[in-house]
Amino acid sequence: MDPFALIRGVVGTTEDAARALVGRERLRLAVTGLSRAGKTVFLTSLIANLLAAGRGARTLPALDEAVGGRIRRVRIIPAGTETIPRFDPEAHLGALAADPPHWPERTEDFSTLSIAIDVERRTSLGGLLPERRVTLDLLDYPGEWLLDLPMLRQDYAAWSAATLTRLRQGIRAEAARDFLAFIDALPGDAAAEDALAKRGFTLYRDALRDCRDNHGLRFLQPGRFLNPGPRGEAPLLWFFPLPPTAQGGLAALCARRYAAYLEDQRTAFLDPFFTRFHRQVVLVDVLGALHAGQEAFEDTAEALAAVAAVVSGGNWLERMLGAAPTRVAFAATKADHVPTRARDALAALLEHLALGARGRAEASGAATSFHALAAIRCTEDAVAMLEGQAFAAVRGVLLNEGRGATIYPGEVPMKPPEPAFWQTGFFRMPEFRPPRLDPAGSVGVPHLGMDALLARLLGDAL
Amino acid sequence: MNAATPPPRVIIEEPGKPAQRLDFGWEAAVAAPLPADRGWSTLSLLGIGLAVLLLGFSVLEAGNFVAAQFAQAAWLGWVTLAVAVAGFGLVFAAIGREVRSYLALATVDRARAAHARGDAAAVKAALVDWQARLPEGRARAEGLAEMPIDAARALVEATTLAPIAREAEALGRNAAIQAFAMTAISPSPALDVLAFSWRGIRLVRQVAALHGFRPGIAGTITLLRRVALDAATVAATDVAVEAVLRGALSSRFAEQIAGETAAGAVAARRMILLARAADEACRVLPRG
Repeated sequence: MDPFALIRGVVGTTEDAARALVGRERLRLAVTGLSRAGKTVFLTSLIANLLAAGRGARTLPALDEAVGGRIRRVRIIPAGTETIPRFDPEAHLGALAADPPHWPERTEDFSTLSIAIDVERRTSLGGLLPERRVTLDLLDYPGEWLLDLPMLRQDYAAWSAATLTRLRQGIRAEAARDFLAFIDALPGDAAAEDALAKRGFTLYRDALRDCRDNHGLRFLQPGRFLNPGPRGEAPLLWFFPLPPTAQGGLAALCARRYAAYLEDQRTAFLDPFFTRFHRQVVLVDVLGALHAGQEAFEDTAEALAAVAAVVSGGNWLERMLGAAPTRVAFAATKADHVPTRARDALAALLEHLALGARGRAEASGAATSFHALAAIRCTEDAVAMLEGQAFAAVRGVLLNEGRGATIYPGEVPMKPPEPAFWQTGFFRMPEFRPPRLDPAGSVGVPHLGMDALLARLLGDAL
Repeated sequence: MNAATPPPRVIIEEPGKPAQRLDFGWEAAVAAPLPADRGWSTLSLLGIGLAVLLLGFSVLEAGNFVAAQFAQAAWLGWVTLAVAVAGFGLVFAAIGREVRSYLALATVDRARAAHARGDAAAVKAALVDWQARLPEGRARAEGLAEMPIDAARALVEATTLAPIAREAEALGRNAAIQAFAMTAISPSPALDVLAFSWRGIRLVRQVAALHGFRPGIAGTITLLRRVALDAATVAATDVAVEAVLRGALSSRFAEQIAGETAAGAVAARRMILLARAADEACRVLPRG
């Protein structure tokens, strides 16, 4: 921890203590999830259901029970002079409720929102004393960028070596064939030509896109290559991994840009948002990883562990300064894509998948929990007749076709499956239409398990 | 996949037939429980019964008396009837005014309940209804029906509720000065209490008038009950301020200097808090 971070930590801890003293706590909730894990929908549902709960609706019964029914009011804190865009739950909810409905587009920039939760005090005189106000700070961001965090602990040479080793294996090698051929053909002393740098960047970026879109892989770095954000593909991004034999001007240029890229991400992303938070939720599309095959499944586990090593981990000093999260909840999203009886298995499988991440979180003193979650429930339980046998399935309305469909999602194992399990090819789960929703969200949105997750994550703080 | 279980599969329903979006009956499932209807209290039933008896028998008695007067002389009967109609007319007018003022206070409850359950249309209707009742010259928010509810709420807050709150504070300060003066010159503590109570009730009615309510006796009693409830939060602040004050005055020297004026200051501060609590109780929308 550098001296400035230490000073910031001390100031932050003092502020937290002062806020707790006057009943005005601020909780920073880090919503971490790889791309397409459902962060935006999770935040939309969380906000809509919390606001509805503040109006007395029983949208989050487990949370209500955990806090003894003391939630009095919930409201969105009015905007100040922030330079970061504001997360717009109304727009997301409006799009989901529209006819035809739309799921949120891929998140391409940061957005933040703070919610004030007024709760009655726990003491027997709670009704007479002024209410406590807990402010919940939320952040939405492109999930791809999360994988830049592990890069902060690597220099260019180490990152290149690790990335090229991964890239030469399995389905990645096929997706990156052109890129690998390009760097293999480069002379070791290639000059710092921008044309070469840009060509290498383009090929590497296309390989990453292919891995993400067609093979369901998630451990893809750097994140801004896949999702450049509002500033687009600036020259800062024109670098790519090179083997250790490359020692010329091009290698030096790539190394310089790598360092500049990390510095930019550190300033814009890590330092403001990920150095200090109190609670963390890790969203994982377990079913998507399972359906994408063995390599994608293992890749997701590796990506989770790598992110957790940076985000959830905290040394003793960070723990003492309150910079490390005290509760971490792992959630298998899109749990409505499996029938009720398979949801426990989904949570159990997540527990195995996130073993590395869990280890990091627990080593830093955080309490962990595992959940099956559907931020917006889009299906109902059904029975599918397959080869003359009845199987538990789900039924929903397909997003594009608008037709009803019964989906048998296959077996959900409770632990990483045996090799025989992977013999079936890639299965892409169709997208479903959200159920009928109130566009104003006055009664929240139907969900599965959001209340249990929030009870576990925030129950002690309210 | 294992041999025993088939691979994942999508079975599309009848082609060409669009399906309805799923409906989990979420609104009904999560709707806030309605407060239990406790009906009339025993005391209310007793009071209403006595009033009906008193008024009913008075009307019957007056009817008999008018009939008896007509039996004696026609002119005597007409004069008695005129007196009875005028007298009972005034009594019924007073009762009507009481009922109206009592029901006017219920618009606050309706608006707040609609706001709590997020019923935008009902909130807007209640706001329009409430604005119509405001005294002449009070600024009103226009075009509420076309606005999103958040904007309507913010506009009403800025245009009407915030100025009312400021005026309520001013009324509270005036009452505080008077309470301070009364406590200082009053010869006995019993008289203190009486004067303070009278000024307090007047203050509550003045603040209610700012919100467009002109409470009669029943309205004032209801209002005082509401103020007492809302004062719970205000009282908590009071307790904290009192504790600080006691802490500051804990030295003997400071106590002597503060002397009697401390009691007056506390009474005055309570008037300001009362004005704030009355404003809170009459607000058509809860404070944000």
